[in-house]
Amino acid sequence: MKKVMYLEFERCIGCRSCQAACRECGGHDSKERNYVEYVNFFENRQTYPMLCMQCKDPACARVCPANAIQITDDGVVLSAMEEKCIGCRNCTFGCPFGIPKFDFEENKMYKCDMCYDRTKHDIAPMCASVCPSDAIRFIDHDEMMELRRRRTQMNLIEGKKPSENDKWQYVPEFFGVYSD
Amino acid sequence: MTQFVVKPGVKNLQHEGEKLITTHCCYCGMQCGMHIRVNEKTGKVVGVEPRYDWPVTMGKMCPKGVTAYQTIDHPERIRKPLIKKNGQFVESSWDEALDLIEENFKRIQSEHGKDALSVFGGVSMTNEKCYLVGKYARVALGTRYVDYNGRFCMSSAAGGFMKTLGIDRGSTLPWPELEHTDCFFMAGSNTAECHPTTIQWLWKARDKGAKMIVADPRETPTARIADVHLDLKAGTDSALAYGMMHLLIKEGYVDEEYVQARCNNYDELQEAVKEFTPEYTSQITGVSVEKIVKAAHIFGRSPRSVVMFARGVEQQSKGVDNVCSYTSMALLRGQIGKFASGVATFTGQGNGQGGREHGQKADALPGYRKIDDPEHVKYIAGVWGIAPAEMPKAGVSAYEMFDEIQAGKIRAMHVICSNPAVSAPNNHYIWAGFEKLDFMVVSDFFLSETAEFADVVLPATSWAEDEGTTTNLEGRVIRIRKVKEPVGEAKTDWQIMQLIAERMGKGKYFPYKNVPEIYEEFRLASKGGKADYYGITYERIEKEDGVFWPCPSEDHPGTPTMFQEKFGTPDGKANLATVKWREPAELPSTEYPHTLTTGRVVFHYLSGTQTRRTKFLMEQCPEPYVEMHPQLAAKYAIRDSDNVYLETKRGAMTVKARITKAIREDHVFIPYHWGKELSVNKLTNPALDPTSRMPEFKVCAVKIKKA
Repeated sequence: MKKVMYLEFERCIGCRSCQAACRECGGHDSKERNYVEYVNFFENRQTYPMLCMQCKDPACARVCPANAIQITDDGVVLSAMEEKCIGCRNCTFGCPFGIPKFDFEENKMYKCDMCYDRTKHDIAPMCASVCPSDAIRFIDHDEMMELRRRRTQMNLIEGKKPSENDKWQYVPEFFGVYSD
Repeated sequence: MTQFVVKPGVKNLQHEGEKLITTHCCYCGMQCGMHIRVNEKTGKVVGVEPRYDWPVTMGKMCPKGVTAYQTIDHPERIRKPLIKKNGQFVESSWDEALDLIEENFKRIQSEHGKDALSVFGGVSMTNEKCYLVGKYARVALGTRYVDYNGRFCMSSAAGGFMKTLGIDRGSTLPWPELEHTDCFFMAGSNTAECHPTTIQWLWKARDKGAKMIVADPRETPTARIADVHLDLKAGTDSALAYGMMHLLIKEGYVDEEYVQARCNNYDELQEAVKEFTPEYTSQITGVSVEKIVKAAHIFGRSPRSVVMFARGVEQQSKGVDNVCSYTSMALLRGQIGKFASGVATFTGQGNGQGGREHGQKADALPGYRKIDDPEHVKYIAGVWGIAPAEMPKAGVSAYEMFDEIQAGKIRAMHVICSNPAVSAPNNHYIWAGFEKLDFMVVSDFFLSETAEFADVVLPATSWAEDEGTTTNLEGRVIRIRKVKEPVGEAKTDWQIMQLIAERMGKGKYFPYKNVPEIYEEFRLASKGGKADYYGITYERIEKEDGVFWPCPSEDHPGTPTMFQEKFGTPDGKANLATVKWREPAELPSTEYPHTLTTGRVVFHYLSGTQTRRTKFLMEQCPEPYVEMHPQLAAKYAIRDSDNVYLETKRGAMTVKARITKAIREDHVFIPYHWGKELSVNKLTNPALDPTSRMPEFKVCAVKIKKA
């Protein structure tokens, strides 16, 4: 896959539009596969979104005793295959980002598939499409690298990110995920 | 006219057996573009698809927008007219309901005169409908008493802009230009929660080094990313603006040439701001001197700046003063009428801009005409086909209608697209007013708190079941398309007004067969007015991605940037503010020692009639809460999630505490989207602005204790 998901945590406004949009994706059964959390609401309103990193060597798949979690040729890590999933929930514990969830009624795991029915047509996933502050973006790998260089450039011009109180210490400035 | 509008090369996901219909969100003034997914066989709405090529929002949506479609086929929709019998609503036929309305309206008017009827409108509907509300009240019912919920929303911005700039258009510049702005001065606007899709433009500008100054008592998600957060006390905005202008003048940041050529009152303004030294300003506003000075330098040095504000500054008993003084800041810097700079207010309601221009206001007629101007009355009477003498005089503002009810002058009310039982201040008084009415009709598509007071509830259509135009917060006129047929026996608001007009014997003034016919009449009615829509056609809107008013003829390109040559005042010059600083109507006292302020959360819209019925939004934010600083909470031994009892002179309520350092220590905040015992508007102060008649929702004195 040429495109990457690019997260900029500081931009997150906590609106949870990405979660609402995740439910809208066909095949997601109206259940969101991402989440947004406050860093520490007592201190301030900084939130951050989290979604599947589509790891190259995903912990969820490695700890699956039934080999139910498949990875597409594009590098998208899919939900466990229903016919193979034994409902052990190893994946939900193995993932360092807390992404796979377990549906106790259906007795199966479900997770972010990067809106596979959209991205396979080169259409952005729902979460990245709607994110009002561009905290989640679905962009070309080259564009991401340019954004990272630009950040360095801005920091050189402006010094550290301008801020009243130093809120940025809570979160990394950016987080890029790419499969190649 | 095509239903699915997409630019070449833009890809959308089209599921098999579904069609996409291009429209806009039903909620706030951003009017985010979206495509609604409809099942071709059943005609049911099944979802939403981003409209990537809408130039204002680029496919972005907030959680309300994403879930907006879920209200359309909602199980709680009203499907048939309801008549209250022995305190219970009973489903009835349209004929039965209309018979009852006709009988009561006619009886009340014959016993108490024409003005015993009243209409309470709303601006979450299309221009066509908003236009018709004014005509319905004045021609079909013949009453002077008509006003609308925009009085609680935009009226101070309108009043302030009229006074300073001569024309009230929410934004003097188109939104996509914000990308090129160097500095945003934002006051009383939690943009990130209330108009979230604007944030993308702010970040585009910030990526190029733009600065943000945010004035807000709370460190909102908007203030959190500001370069300077001016954490002022609620109700001290005009002092802050004066303090800023004091420094702009002192430090030589004033664009003297622009001010001399295009503004009046500069000497008076200099005199008025003289005493507002940073120290004095700091004393009034509670903002530190360093922050005020820093903000003034950033704002003063920026070559292109935009001053933006919203309900935080407008919903005060000096809302108009606040708007005038913030607007003057932009004028002193010579910013209005230029590229990527100017002044803007964030319109709260979907069609807050269009809806306030076309005669729903007690004193206004279509095209921003005035009802006390004989020439204006003559023109509109001509369009409507009535004699100018038949035009009723000006009525009173929304809240003051409830005084008229208590005085026995208003005996019946027709509430259209509004829920004042939640959204008006001093709720107890509003509820008592509804109970005192002899007869009350509500048109709505859910049984709102207001509808529960009604004698007859008429099922209206949702936004997706009718077509028309709205005007977004930029002043861009856009198309709302019909997505599906109405549920049950629901009728559009214009059909409802038409039916009642027929019953009142005025059917010939409402001969419309479809929405375009209303639009044609409305274009004509606005022609020659300040808000001139005459040159805007449905075809142009589709071809040009919306058209900005004023647009007086079909070959006129529209007006994305306002006031490039001159202002809308009689002498073409802007009037700088020369107001006297006034305290809020209610100050903290020994008995009520803290300040209560109210506002929105990102998950709900206005009185919550729609969003409280949406599953996802209720999961995120099911009930109101009181936000307070840990230092204040400690004084009362309140811990997070404890119940807190709050009381003002007008009412009391108990809600759960949410403790955070992101608010001033002397302030508490409660969101207002809930009704009845959860409504914070039981507590708010109805002190009205002298010009705009806007109540002071944002400031009142409160006492608290652990419940």
